[in-house]
Amino acid sequence: MLHLQPSNLLIQKTFSEALEANGSGSPLTFDRIISDFDYTNFHVSNDPENRDLLLLSVRTKAWQSILTCDNGSQGVLPYLAAKYTKLPGITVAGSAEAGFDYTLCIDLSQLTSETIVQLSLLKTNIMSYPFFLAFQEFATLSTKNPTTTTVTVGRFNEETGNVSSIDVSSTLYTIQYRDNENMFIKPSNDRITVIFETFFQDETDKVFGKVFLQEFVDARKRNRDIQSAPQVIFSTEPPLELQNHLPKGNEVGDEASKRFITFVLFPRHFANEELQFKTVSQLILFRNYFHYHIKCSKAYMHSRMRYRVDTFVKVLNRAKVDEDEDESGGSNYETKRTITGRKMVY
Amino acid sequence: MSQSLRPYLTAVRYSLEAALTLTNFSSQEVERHNRPEIEVPNTSAELLLQPMHIARSETEQVLIEPSVNSVRISLMVKQADEIEQILVHKFTIFLEQRAEAFHILRRVPIKGYSISFLITNKHTESMKTGKLVDFIIEFMEEVDKEISEMKLFLNARARFVANEYLGEFVY
Repeated sequence: MLHLQPSNLLIQKTFSEALEANGSGSPLTFDRIISDFDYTNFHVSNDPENRDLLLLSVRTKAWQSILTCDNGSQGVLPYLAAKYTKLPGITVAGSAEAGFDYTLCIDLSQLTSETIVQLSLLKTNIMSYPFFLAFQEFATLSTKNPTTTTVTVGRFNEETGNVSSIDVSSTLYTIQYRDNENMFIKPSNDRITVIFETFFQDETDKVFGKVFLQEFVDARKRNRDIQSAPQVIFSTEPPLELQNHLPKGNEVGDEASKRFITFVLFPRHFANEELQFKTVSQLILFRNYFHYHIKCSKAYMHSRMRYRVDTFVKVLNRAKVDEDEDESGGSNYETKRTITGRKMVY
Repeated sequence: MSQSLRPYLTAVRYSLEAALTLTNFSSQEVERHNRPEIEVPNTSAELLLQPMHIARSETEQVLIEPSVNSVRISLMVKQADEIEQILVHKFTIFLEQRAEAFHILRRVPIKGYSISFLITNKHTESMKTGKLVDFIIEFMEEVDKEISEMKLFLNARARFVANEYLGEFVY
């Protein structure tokens, strides 16, 4: 399994099961907790009053930051509602289930396989809202100032609240999707910059991560086929885009092991809706993908070392003096054996 | 095998062959004890022999410490960079955790070395000395090979993974 899928397979399975059981006339009772990356949990349960209705609730670490990323106007709610209510049989619950951030009601009698796929993409859709805003802002910025051959770095004017350069948006969308790790999106009029902040708890991961990240940076230069992929920049210092935004005075130890990975998206990466979706779902999975492969290589090395140890033991065992050989030479007492061939021990 | 590795390994081989002449030797200090003299604090100098130190480079060295009934062999494995350091560390830890299977492996290397072996007269009595030397030599060859292969693998995987990820953005 090389790529991680943006959809959640367990949600797909659960709903397919529910649909099948409902079709055969024996609806199932559900109470399932399904986990996803980045502290995301889903809860699938039956509506207490109507057994034909299923509830799908989601709780994710990123919810708070996504809810407030558009200056607190909570635009993510209508964004998700628009995405889901157009599908048959889905309504948005008035209030989210206790302990969860967002709840959808699904009418089993109208459920289709297409809808199931969309349901399994719930996390991706939630996370894609700040990207959606960034795409919109990019569109307005680029119509205002369409020709750009040189890029000037815009500076946010703190006192007046105006952008002193028209090139770069003043807004920085932040998704706090893990405890210490954030994702930043900065639109400007010719590109969108996505910055991942990541840190490694494990010393080994840190070194392996460095190797992997370096390859991400170099891959584009080395391979002509992927020239049109976004540019990747890796740094240990916060990039310029972030310097005014990062909270000061974090713990020193934490700061030192932080790494920043910048993806520069050009208009060709989000030219239409389909591309936007592909790009966003890839980017959201970047951290997972990257850490997943670090773990995979560690696992591979482990199994390799195991094999190597076996071969070493074999070589060492060659040195052992064979007991039988020893007995047949030298000694003159004969070994007594039982009828099954075992040696007699006195 | 590179040109300079051969004489290095040959030197180690002959030194080991010379060192592995062990006899059964009961402790002079504690009654009814028979312990590897190289491992215990020793007041009688005649039990310890001259240690042999063979170095190929600053990072590749072997220290052979013979005594009357035991030999301690410590290897320093080449660690050119951070990755190799981690790989060597992981590999040696992995081996040391399985020291039972290796009989002659010391659970903790002596200070400054990556991995240590302890061969006592019990081992030379139950195993062929020549084969033991073969094992040490083969171990030295294989460890270097293994470490560099793992490093290559890591880089290759990283490259492949990065290519595949970025390839998804090409439309």
